[in-house]
Amino acid sequence: MPTKVLIVEDEPEFMRRFSNAVLNDPALSLGASVSTGRAGIAMLDLQTPDVLLVDLGLPDMDGVAVIAHAARHHPACDVLVVTMFADDDHVVASIEAGASGYLLKDASAERIVASIHELRAGGAPISPGIARRVLERFRTRSAMGARTMPAAAPEPSPLTPRESELLRMIAKGFTFETIGSLLDISPHTVVAHVKKIYRKLAVHSRSEAVYEAGQLGLL
Amino acid sequence: MAALALALAAGGGPAEAAVVEFRRMQTHAPSVALPSDDGAGTSAWTDTALPAAVAPHGETPAAPRWYRGDFDWAPEGGPPSPWAVYLPFLYQGGQVWINGAFAGGVPEDTPALRVRWERPHLVPVPAGLLRPGRNRLAIRVGAGPAQTAQHFPQVSIGPVAELQPRADRRTFWVRTMPQVTVVVCLLVAGFVLFIYAHRRSEVLYGLFGLASALWGVRTLTFVIERMPVEDWQRWRIAYLGATGGFVIVLALFAMRLAGLRRPVLDRVLLAYGVLGPLWLWGAGADGEAAVNRLWTAGLIPVGMAILGLSGWTLWRQRTVAAAVMPLALATAVLAGMHDYLVAWNAEALALFLPRWWVGQRIFLLHYGADLVLIAMGGLLTVRFIEALTSLESVNARLAELNETLESRVAQRERHLAENFERMAELERDRAAAQERQLIMREIHDGLGSRLFTSLLRVERGDMDGAQIAGALRDCIADMRLALEVLSPDDDFQAALGNFLFRWQTQMLEAQVMPRWSIDVPEDVLRLSRQAALQLLRIAQEALTNVLKHAGAKNVRIDLRQRGGHLELEVSDDGHGAQPAGQGAGRGLANMRARAGQLGGTLELRSGDGGTRVLLRLPLAPPGDRDLP
Repeated sequence: MPTKVLIVEDEPEFMRRFSNAVLNDPALSLGASVSTGRAGIAMLDLQTPDVLLVDLGLPDMDGVAVIAHAARHHPACDVLVVTMFADDDHVVASIEAGASGYLLKDASAERIVASIHELRAGGAPISPGIARRVLERFRTRSAMGARTMPAAAPEPSPLTPRESELLRMIAKGFTFETIGSLLDISPHTVVAHVKKIYRKLAVHSRSEAVYEAGQLGLL
Repeated sequence: MAALALALAAGGGPAEAAVVEFRRMQTHAPSVALPSDDGAGTSAWTDTALPAAVAPHGETPAAPRWYRGDFDWAPEGGPPSPWAVYLPFLYQGGQVWINGAFAGGVPEDTPALRVRWERPHLVPVPAGLLRPGRNRLAIRVGAGPAQTAQHFPQVSIGPVAELQPRADRRTFWVRTMPQVTVVVCLLVAGFVLFIYAHRRSEVLYGLFGLASALWGVRTLTFVIERMPVEDWQRWRIAYLGATGGFVIVLALFAMRLAGLRRPVLDRVLLAYGVLGPLWLWGAGADGEAAVNRLWTAGLIPVGMAILGLSGWTLWRQRTVAAAVMPLALATAVLAGMHDYLVAWNAEALALFLPRWWVGQRIFLLHYGADLVLIAMGGLLTVRFIEALTSLESVNARLAELNETLESRVAQRERHLAENFERMAELERDRAAAQERQLIMREIHDGLGSRLFTSLLRVERGDMDGAQIAGALRDCIADMRLALEVLSPDDDFQAALGNFLFRWQTQMLEAQVMPRWSIDVPEDVLRLSRQAALQLLRIAQEALTNVLKHAGAKNVRIDLRQRGGHLELEVSDDGHGAQPAGQGAGRGLANMRARAGQLGGTLELRSGDGGTRVLLRLPLAPPGDRDLP
């Protein structure tokens, strides 16, 4: 059964490119192409796609809201955030919101399609910039956690030393193969680690949001 | 002193009932130890008024002398009250005989012991010695030292109860007071000399302490009544030295107080002060009288001089404090003169003062001297207090000054801190401006020039779609590189990581196998942003060429440190870049220019086996590498 893809992108040129790439791949089917966040959320609920391609610079809302909605209501949906740069702050924010990876805007049609397939196959796109920022996020989070969260609140799970090491090597620019050979694991395991790290980051941010909402008396 | 006189006079006033005052007695100086019978041998006895003083006769040594007088006694009703003989003084000791019987005695000189009794004597009359009616009292006076007058006081006999108060009074003034004076003088001397020892600049205190000590020693003469013969001479020398020394020190004190500094005069005075004791020491016991007459007398002019000096100080300074010293000194000097006359020439003194007073032989000098010492002490205490007060006010002023100073310093520091803050801000602004410059230049040189060239070529119609796409991709690559390097948070290491990742992906997609080797220690990898940009640009240019033209299958990128240089080598196994072609030529020139900008060299070797681009950059010394 072909993978259903939902595209949320307001730039017509890019939307056309993404749509064409999906349409030209028999293994993929285009669920919808919408250009606003509201439409995107509506389509998410209506179509329940397998993959969501979302641009962050949407006219009516922050793309992160769409991602958060998908993460909450459609956890089975993989989210790829579209970005110009592989080490944007927004990418990490998207991952915290629940995205599973990123896609460069100037990617070729082949790259687009390959990314989607890799994602579905269990891959986790990551760049040195993202790795650096993730490390930073966990550092500040754990520092904040030690200070602000009492023992009662759920303990944020920090990175294991292996995961930190992995991120550091990615930040240096090593490929998964190189890292695999250095750490004596298969590249596939490396990828699995990255996915786990992404999930931790998302959980982390969610639990912190819950805690903060609790603190503010919103819950 | 007047009160003193009154007090003593009260003792010698109208006779109490039953007390017999002897105003006259008979005296005789036989060589016999015992008097003859009553009435017999009267020719040897001469009548004399009391108090009496027998002048020394030339070289003959003094001998004991007898005084006798008669009195009536009637037994009272009731129990008999004890009687006693009151002798205001009996310097050399002696014996009291009543009706031919020994009644009591005061020790006299013995070969082993010298005596000098200052105290009054109340010799009790044993009961039974007195007979109703006429009684005879005979008193033997001990022999004194040669060349000194023998003194005999006004004697009284009567009930003990009547005479005791008299004796007590005199004892107090003549014995107790001197004892107290000695103790106080020596204690005060101790304290003051201690102060002086710690503050050598305060000579006045030192002199005062010395004067007090000397006076304490001198006053011992009224306290020490018995002394072994061997020590007697030494004691007299000490006494003389102390007396003279006191006057000399007083003179020095007065001079210092007046502000007079005459070292010669100081020495003369000191010499004179030492002269007396030395003379006595040389002359032996017999010389004492002569020394006393001449040398001690010489102190009187010194005393007058002191008086004059203090008067002059008073006239100059006209303060109460300045008056104290002259008055005290005047009193002391007069007392000194009085004592001198009492001791050596009572007759002369009798011209000025009532005889009964003279007969009492009260020595006033040491009261006068006490007054002087008190005056000195008082002056110095006042000075001390003044010094403390002025010190306190100086301290207060200093504290004030300190506060002002501190607040000024704090103000200064604030200014400085503000200045530093401003400077730091300026520095930050400058750094920011520099960064902006860098970015602007990069946009201008890199992206800018590429876009312009491509535009021209497109308008000329010289580029096809694929070429345009390629040019635009190159622009994007440039932009990505610039953003990676110029990102404020990241350093060269991060930019390198991004660069490697990006190109890795690209090369793999282009079916070229990349291999990296980075052999540089981390601290060397701290390049300035400018240097990092140019280095990565060159690498990017080289890799772009490889992908576009070389048709290579493998690419090696090496970054290593050789000596003082950083080397970047990009080698591929393609079919070599053609020197012809605008893009390639310009690219190469560009690369060389960039290398030159950094002070490095670029080597390009191209052939059938492949292309090799070698960039060598000199490394700055460790300190400089962190410059923007």
